[in-house]
Amino acid sequence: MMTQADETQEHEESAAEKPARRSLFRRGTAPLLPEAGAAGAPLTAVIAVMSFLAVLAMASLLIVNHAASEWTSALRSEITVQVKGASPEEISEGLDAALRVLNETEGVLEATAQSQKDAAALLEPWLGEGNAEAFLTIPAIIEVKASPALRDNLDLLRNRLAAAAPGATLDDHARWHDRLASAARSGQALAFGVFLLVMGAACAISIFAARAGLAANHEIVSVLHLVGATDAFIAAEVQRRFFILGLRGALIGLFVALAALLLAGLAVRAGGGADNFLPDLRLGGWMMLWLATAPIATCLVTALTARLTVLNTLSKQY
Amino acid sequence: MDAGKEIVRFEKAGLAYEDAPETLSNVSMALREGEFRFLTGPSGAGKTSLLKMIYLAHKPTRGRFFLFGEDAMDAPREALPALRRRIGVVFQEFRLLDHLTAYENVALPMKVAGVNQNQYREDVSELLNWVGLGDRMDAKPPTLSGGEKQRVALARALVSKPDLILADEPTGNVDPAMGERIMKLFVELNKLGAAVIVATHDLHLVQSIGKPVLRIANGKVTRSAGAGGAG
Ligand SMILES: Nc1ncnc2c1ncn2[C@@H]1O[C@H](COP(=O)(O)OP(=O)(O)OP(=O)(O)O)[C@@H](O)[C@H]1O
Ligand SMILES: [Mg+2]
Repeated sequence: MMTQADETQEHEESAAEKPARRSLFRRGTAPLLPEAGAAGAPLTAVIAVMSFLAVLAMASLLIVNHAASEWTSALRSEITVQVKGASPEEISEGLDAALRVLNETEGVLEATAQSQKDAAALLEPWLGEGNAEAFLTIPAIIEVKASPALRDNLDLLRNRLAAAAPGATLDDHARWHDRLASAARSGQALAFGVFLLVMGAACAISIFAARAGLAANHEIVSVLHLVGATDAFIAAEVQRRFFILGLRGALIGLFVALAALLLAGLAVRAGGGADNFLPDLRLGGWMMLWLATAPIATCLVTALTARLTVLNTLSKQY
Repeated sequence: MDAGKEIVRFEKAGLAYEDAPETLSNVSMALREGEFRFLTGPSGAGKTSLLKMIYLAHKPTRGRFFLFGEDAMDAPREALPALRRRIGVVFQEFRLLDHLTAYENVALPMKVAGVNQNQYREDVSELLNWVGLGDRMDAKPPTLSGGEKQRVALARALVSKPDLILADEPTGNVDPAMGERIMKLFVELNKLGAAVIVATHDLHLVQSIGKPVLRIANGKVTRSAGAGGAG
């Protein structure tokens, strides 16, 4: 490509040029579409918010899951036997009979009669102190821990109890169990719905930003085409940029959400309410892994949407 | 020289921008392998428009158009990049990317073609040295003079050793000595096999090179008398 005279000139220069040549090795890493200085920060911020919300939605899903399984498993292992009677003697007899039946039944791990005094203590605030008469005929309660095998087949026990103590009824909390399970399902559906909505919003934002980016970089895209770039090449460039922005935003969102969850957990524990009611908010390994899917999904949705948007937009050009 | 393969062929092609009347109408012409043409005509005649059709920036709005023997009007969109890679264009407005250095601009056609940098690094430096910008490789276009930008654009057009070179006023911003040097380079590259079309107002240069001239006026391309030879 060179004329002879120019080649000699080139040789003379090559020695002085060495350092410059070395620096060429770093070349070629510059993004072909300019780093979105202006558009980058707001987009990163929006993606951070999306990621934050996605993590919270995912966390709610996990918490509801966890809570539901804890509550229902506690409910599942417990059954209650209630002994009614017209007089204290009748109740006491029934109670003894019921306890005997329970202790003879295979699968009963533990049967604890709640004493009348305990029951009275529970009701005292409502009935007033010393109204002993009223307490004497309230039903006696036996809390039973049952093995899963027994839990699945309670009919026999139910019949035997009825035979031994006519005033005894057995409550397997099935109604509560069903209600909790359905409440948990609604909670899960809601959390998952929020998660999907957030993904949809990330998608929409990405489409918008990718289109705006193409329009703003119209001249660059056009030159890239004219020097022989394929749509796939340009789409890959845009995707890479959106992936980097998305990753940055997603990580920010993740960390803010983790901090928020941690604070919420600490607050609940400081309030003393955590032990029985709210499930443990400590972030176990699995929980972390699940939570991490939220920012990853946000980031991937952003990058892939940008790619498809670019391919779609470019396919309409010449 | 034998009549080579056809590189460009227009048959009764026309080009209209949007709803405006046709800028070019009834263009019928052919350019063969190894040919060199000047393209002249008054400002606004449609020189750039004709080149735009050839480098696949604008589709002719009617007629037929073949590029490297392929029907470019019917070619699927996926086939266009490969055709464009065989063409080196010096745009009238340079169209350098301002956020890239001179080196990166020149390397662009190779980069988008997926060529490994090791294979073009030397070529890019050599070209930039040849156009006298060996010490401005890291400069970005906004910091370059008009003539310097033009030379970067020239280097970018040539880096991929194209089969067809289209130069739109390639000497408009450089001094006469550099202008002559650039024209001589085109002649050399043409001798090495590239077909060349140079759009220019510089009739002086046209005469000194002595290649056939296509003239555009009133939307028609005519082969003007005078300079002879198949190029
Ligand atoms: N993108 C465009 N949209 C609409 N009209 C255009 C467009 N580009 C060019 N034109 C019109 O087409 C005509 C031919 O323009 P063109 O740029 O091809 O002329 P030219 O011969 O290259 O002129 P010059 O010597 O000044 O470069 C002009 O009248 C111009 O206004
Ligand atoms: Mg022009």
